[in-house]
Amino acid sequence: MRENEQIKGLFERVCYDNSIQAYNELYIALCTRLIHFSASIVSSFHLAEEIVSDVFLSLWQKRNDLSHVQNPVVYLYVSTKNLSLNTLRQQKRHQHHSLDTLNTDMLAIAPDAENGMVSAEVSQKIERAIRSLPARCQLIFRLIKQDRLSYREVAELLNISTKTVDAQLTIAVKKISQAIRFDLSDETAQTYLRLDS
Amino acid sequence: MDQEKLYALLAREMAGELTEKEAAALEQLLQQYPDASYIREVFAQNWAPAGKAYSPTQVEQLLEKHQQRMQNLPADTFYEEAPPKGRRWLLYSGIAAGFLLLFALGGYWRYTQRAKTTPVLSQLVTDKRMRSQVLLPDGTRVWLNAGSKLDYPQQFAAHQPREVTLEGEAFFVVTADAERPFRVHTKAFNVRVLGTSFNVRAYPQEDSAVASLVQGSVEVVLNDASSQVVSLKPNEKLTVPVHPQTAPTTENTAALTTPIIVYKTKLTTLRDSIIPETAWVQNKLAFKHLQLDKVVKMLEQWYGVEINFSDDRKKQLYFTGVFESESLEEVLNALETTLSFSWHKDAEGKIWIN
Repeated sequence: MRENEQIKGLFERVCYDNSIQAYNELYIALCTRLIHFSASIVSSFHLAEEIVSDVFLSLWQKRNDLSHVQNPVVYLYVSTKNLSLNTLRQQKRHQHHSLDTLNTDMLAIAPDAENGMVSAEVSQKIERAIRSLPARCQLIFRLIKQDRLSYREVAELLNISTKTVDAQLTIAVKKISQAIRFDLSDETAQTYLRLDS
Repeated sequence: MDQEKLYALLAREMAGELTEKEAAALEQLLQQYPDASYIREVFAQNWAPAGKAYSPTQVEQLLEKHQQRMQNLPADTFYEEAPPKGRRWLLYSGIAAGFLLLFALGGYWRYTQRAKTTPVLSQLVTDKRMRSQVLLPDGTRVWLNAGSKLDYPQQFAAHQPREVTLEGEAFFVVTADAERPFRVHTKAFNVRVLGTSFNVRAYPQEDSAVASLVQGSVEVVLNDASSQVVSLKPNEKLTVPVHPQTAPTTENTAALTTPIIVYKTKLTTLRDSIIPETAWVQNKLAFKHLQLDKVVKMLEQWYGVEINFSDDRKKQLYFTGVFESESLEEVLNALETTLSFSWHKDAEGKIWIN
């Protein structure tokens, strides 16, 4: 994917040219995605902002030792995951420190009602459908739809197989599709049905 | 059954994981389930966070906050210290399909090695009152302040450091090129650059030479016996005292063996975030808490005049100011309003401060 190539290019300029400019661009390109991901683990946007900032600080400090990094995007997501889980551990607020107790409020996404494709009502229905999914399934859906990670990248990040990613994503798509379908207005349905006949 | 397949294919299409075969299968299924075309469209749209979303301005603020935290890191953990002997330059070579190899290259090229292949040199010279700009063959942009001289090759050799020599003051915005680090040589020090923007002030008639870093990272290597290396962070400047009697040409003097004491200070801004060290690049004359005799030197360069003190005690006065289109008389009058000195022009056009 083109975007991924761009991020790879920026990452290389940080590691090999010590380019502050590339570093800043990399931060801008990835910070909000990583913050949302971290916030779903630590349940706080404020904390997540600090965690992601720390991830980038350590990226700068270690920039000359990162020649082994094959996929910068996965590297930054994994760093964010680890630091987020560590932060929870230090706070001793939670008994379990795994990705099973995600705060899915931070992950919710929905089609933009403003671009006219769906009504605000359908958009809400979709959001509700997503929220009814298991936490991990919601996370996978978001990572792929919103953060545009590939199956392989999600698999690596969550330590699962690409088959599992595929199956989980299919569950999410099915649930959302059903929510949309039930709500197709007669007119829209007719337009598509007429094509059929 | 087909419906399940349809969901799986829609999911893979959204993820960009659809094979050609599957794409054909999807098209067929869409014929069967026409309302799925609408669903497909919905998935193809850009979605937005349903909860908190960051606007571009907020992202900028996040970056600013992050940069502040970077500044607060202790210098030695933030910028790696230069190794004491045998500088290592990281040479990056990217081979097809993302195979990366990293070589540590022991020893660094001294510019004396240039003798082997003497490149055709160009020279850019500015008189007093004159400032100039040049685009070097590698895309690096250089602003040359008044009364300065820059030597640079017409073509930079491949796989070798890009080297230029400066007398006077220049501001550099260096094009990043990991294979060919950029070096600026002056009498007092050499600056080793890794893609960055910075200012070098090294006028032969002044008692100090200054390197100021705006962005990126540079290393300054002193041209004395110690070959001391100082790393600069953004918004730092390094001042190196220069004593004409210990010029590098006289080798055996005791003064040469005693290490030079250098000063590393922060760049501070004036109003409208003007950094005095680099204001001249934007045709602004700016100084902050600067001794009058140094201000006068700047005015002499800027306006091409001679200014003398009839009362040497006035040299110790300090001034802060930013000027852009003012004439010399307007500048002097503005400074005079502080009532700490007065000035006049004599019959020969020389200016006197008393």
